[in-house]
Amino acid sequence: MKRTLPLLLLAALSLACVQAAFSQQDMKVLAPAALGKLTRPAAQFNHDPHNEKAKLDDCVICHHGGADGKQDKSVSTEGTPCADCHKVKSVGKNTGLQRAYHKQCIDCHKAKGKGPVACGQCHKR
Amino acid sequence: MNAAYEFVTGPLAWLAWGIFLLGSAFRLASMYQLAKAKDAPSLAFMSWSYSLRSIVNWLIPFNALGWRKSPAMTVATFVFHICLLVAPIFLVAHVMLWDQFFGVSYVTIPDSVTDILTLVVIGACLFFAGRRFLQPDVRYLTTGKDWLALVIVLAPFLTGFLAYHQLLDYDLMVILHVVAGEIMLAAIPFTRLSHMVFAVFTRAYMGSEFGGVRHARDW
Ligand code: HEC
Ligand code: HEC
Ligand code: HEC
Ligand code: HEC
Repeated sequence: MKRTLPLLLLAALSLACVQAAFSQQDMKVLAPAALGKLTRPAAQFNHDPHNEKAKLDDCVICHHGGADGKQDKSVSTEGTPCADCHKVKSVGKNTGLQRAYHKQCIDCHKAKGKGPVACGQCHKR
Repeated sequence: MNAAYEFVTGPLAWLAWGIFLLGSAFRLASMYQLAKAKDAPSLAFMSWSYSLRSIVNWLIPFNALGWRKSPAMTVATFVFHICLLVAPIFLVAHVMLWDQFFGVSYVTIPDSVTDILTLVVIGACLFFAGRRFLQPDVRYLTTGKDWLALVIVLAPFLTGFLAYHQLLDYDLMVILHVVAGEIMLAAIPFTRLSHMVFAVFTRAYMGSEFGGVRHARDW
């Protein structure tokens, strides 16, 4: 018992690390903590399969950089949550978090003529 | 799905709003011409104060004699019209679409509340339908046009409720919902729903005639 507890803790910890490193592979829905309690079912987003199916090889298509109100599409920021740069309440000309998601996801689906565009297609019950 | 959604939320939406706004303007203009040709003296009697007096008095529930005659109908009418306007205008998803398409945004009502308002509208529609079926005098006066107006109004609320709760086929239901809303808009100038445009003028006309000519109240 004395030795199993630390071992279990170690196992749990390493599992958590692995989970963090590969988490986008398991990402099925988007429910960023910044938005707090969601009013709608979390949006469907199966990260890797989505990008494979949609043939999005370049991470910067979604994970752009930028600061001070200027988007920078030459710097990729994968792993940085959108919420780090897009505040829930938009300040000034900065795109708010919910708008950032909607604009990025829906604009592309509209442009490509494929992928969900109506509320319930992403926010599936 | 995407092509259908683009079509109904794009060109079809512009068409529906165009028919609603231009059609309403046209109906008002032609009604004014008709009044001028057939009943010119009445236009001379039109008065702001008598008009407003009549409108305000009819806007107060149970104030007008007409409202006191059938209390159930009065309650249903007021509640129905308030929910009918408030639910779609302040619905989160609709405001979000204004924002998405035009960058304009304003206050919203939580979905849990608009959900209830929607059910109230549906319930009131059923009440009106029941009344047309069951009350002999109303039944006698009812024509196909009354049923058409009722169905046109019920449709967007029913499909909206089903789409929001994702009951039945969602993709089909959102499209149906958008189209039903557009049919309602476009139908306003040309069906029984035109009372939305004409009601204030009808009241103003009655109020002015009763106030200025007959020296009586019309409520
Ligand atoms: C279609 C848009 C899109 C593309 C393309 C994309 N991602 Fe992401 N990725 C997202 C979104 C959205 C999130 C969630 C971020 C958030 O909510 O803050 C995310 C999260 C992540 C995370 C963090 C996972 C977590 O659990 O926090 C990593 C790591 C990541 N992406 C890596 C990549 C890499 C590497 C690529 C390129 C091979 C890539 N992404 C391409 C949209 C995309
Ligand atoms: C390193 C900071 C940073 C990160 C991380 C980031 N953004 Fe941005 N983003 C910006 C800046 C800066 C702008 C330009 C100013 C603005 O519109 O807020 C911008 C603009 C946008 C715009 C508006 C573009 C336009 O054409 O108007 C969208 C949409 C957007 N970001 C979505 C996202 C999404 C979704 C994520 C997460 C996957 C994300 N951003 C992550 C910094 C960032
Ligand atoms: C740069 C383009 C692009 C962006 C950005 C993008 N998508 Fe997509 N998405 C696509 C394409 C293309 C498809 C259709 C893939 C297919 O069916 O071939 C798709 C399909 C989907 C599907 C359906 C998946 C399936 O298995 O049928 C969902 C859900 C989805 N996207 C969610 C999102 C969300 C949420 C975001 C924003 C975080 C997003 N997408 C951002 C291009 C994009
Ligand atoms: C392409 C996918 C997509 C579509 C279409 C879409 N959303 Fe979203 N929505 C998202 C993503 C991604 C987020 C941020 C993560 C989340 O909340 O799951 C979000 C967040 C939200 C939020 C804030 C979070 C919450 O639940 O309170 C609301 C409200 C919302 N969406 C409503 C809508 C409405 C209404 C529509 C239709 C007019 C819509 N969305 C269409 C992807 C989508």
